[in-house]
Amino acid sequence: MTAVLAPKATVQSSPSRFDVLPYLMVAPVTLFIAGLALLPAVFAVVQSFFIVDALDPPMRWAGLSNFTGLFGDAAVRSSMANTGLYVLIGVTLSTLLGTAAAVLLQRPFRGRSLVIAVMILPWALPGVVEGILWQGIFEPNSGLISAVLQLFGADGGLLLGQNRLLTIGLIELVQVWQITPLSALLILAALQLIPDELYEAAQLDGCSPWAAFRRITLPLARPGIAVAMVQAVIATLNVFDQPYVLNGAASTGASVTMQTYFVSFQNLDFGAGYALTLLITLATLAISMAVVRLVYRKVEM
Amino acid sequence: MKPARRIGLALLLLWSLVPIYWAVRTSLQTESDARATPVQFLPLNPTLENYRTLLTGDGEVPAQIRRSAWNIVIECGAATVVTVLLATLAAYAFARMRFRGRKVIFYTVLATMTLPAYTTLIPLYRIMSQFSLVNTYTGIVLVYVSGFLPLATWVLYNYFSSMPVSLEEAATVDGAGRLQVLWHIVLPLARPGIISTALITFLFAWAQFLFPLVLSSDLSTQPLTVVIAGLQGRHVVPVTLLDAAGVLAIVVPVVLALTFNRYIVNGLLAGSTR
Repeated sequence: MTAVLAPKATVQSSPSRFDVLPYLMVAPVTLFIAGLALLPAVFAVVQSFFIVDALDPPMRWAGLSNFTGLFGDAAVRSSMANTGLYVLIGVTLSTLLGTAAAVLLQRPFRGRSLVIAVMILPWALPGVVEGILWQGIFEPNSGLISAVLQLFGADGGLLLGQNRLLTIGLIELVQVWQITPLSALLILAALQLIPDELYEAAQLDGCSPWAAFRRITLPLARPGIAVAMVQAVIATLNVFDQPYVLNGAASTGASVTMQTYFVSFQNLDFGAGYALTLLITLATLAISMAVVRLVYRKVEM
Repeated sequence: MKPARRIGLALLLLWSLVPIYWAVRTSLQTESDARATPVQFLPLNPTLENYRTLLTGDGEVPAQIRRSAWNIVIECGAATVVTVLLATLAAYAFARMRFRGRKVIFYTVLATMTLPAYTTLIPLYRIMSQFSLVNTYTGIVLVYVSGFLPLATWVLYNYFSSMPVSLEEAATVDGAGRLQVLWHIVLPLARPGIISTALITFLFAWAQFLFPLVLSSDLSTQPLTVVIAGLQGRHVVPVTLLDAAGVLAIVVPVVLALTFNRYIVNGLLAGSTR
């Protein structure tokens, strides 16, 4: 570029002329999102109203039959009930444990960052491998739980796949292990914003630590708790890795996402898979929004 | 520190570490020691035999583990590089440049974050099979990148927005082009944000299971997670070998999480404040 043409002019003239650079910079991301997220999402919605069956071509209009068919399918109904339990157990436990961990870490102490580093480990690991790690804990003959029971002279361990509630509870415990670190971090971030003076004033007024927790910590942590619960809802409603590895296809623990996988990629009935996908997506959005409305409160400090 | 807090912190550490420890213990034992009663809480006769088998043995299982470990490194590495590169360009434009349609494009990209990842599982599979990209590195990396871009863009957008504009303005007044400013001024300052984004993207990619389960049909592209889940159902594979494979699969994320925990924590928090 020749410096004779005053260089400042290029800076000032840019608003009037069409500026192509920002478009070039956002184009790749936009294309990826349009082509591999929005377009597929539209596909999923549209094709859930069609019969899309690799074993029964061609594709044709199905009306609502994919959806009504789902509710007539006992395996799907059972997977919905299972998933409801996963969500209920997972969101409750991860929120309670996450809050407890956040309160433990609220005040600075020597080694706090090390504890946080160790705490986030389970979040960083693949769900599939976590299933394998915990299988070693649950294993009925030589697992850690049966070993501890043996120390006390008791016998036995935990057999997955027999009792439905126990199976779901144990599988969800593994997912709780994975998602609680993020809950704890999100809640901890909210707690860090609470000024110490509030606690000092409460102490001067003779507030017990429990009262301080109920009246100061909990209300002010609500934004963090809401975000933590939303991430837990999304993770648990879509749970796949842990039940798939720990319990296989057994109906005692199959989740809706597992059922989607079986229907689409083993029975090749994509239309039904689309319908099921759409249901989980809508449920995820609806429950997440409900959580935000119920739990989230904007905090002014 | 009060004793109750000490006990709480000890429980937190135990809860986080015991399942990992137990798999490491099993992986250092022989099969008969692992099944012995009373159960050995420590590996009394530790052996590296399981790792030697997986890393240098000839059988089918070691070959699968080695190939899928290679696959997962390639897929996660490529997905991370592409995601961070594209997200950096877009996030900088969104944060610092004014152009028509900026808000619409930005919020559309962010809106896809609210969809659960598996919403697009079946359509993505069908698109990839239309273009013969099932069971290719390209197909898997494309799907990963499309999934991770919104979060990466959001984290980097927040990072760029939090940086002071004054240096960039000074450089512009001195006659530097906008890409020069991005390359020489912004990127060096934004390094912590870029490292956070890269780490989170890499860890997400490493943890993927259902997408590669669907998108890769054989060992040429299957990542370690898919192969390990496949071994798990087969009773011929001893639990000691399975746990050694599991430990191999978590070495990389464990080392990254322990070494760079600050970057990861900051990135996660930047990514979830909405």
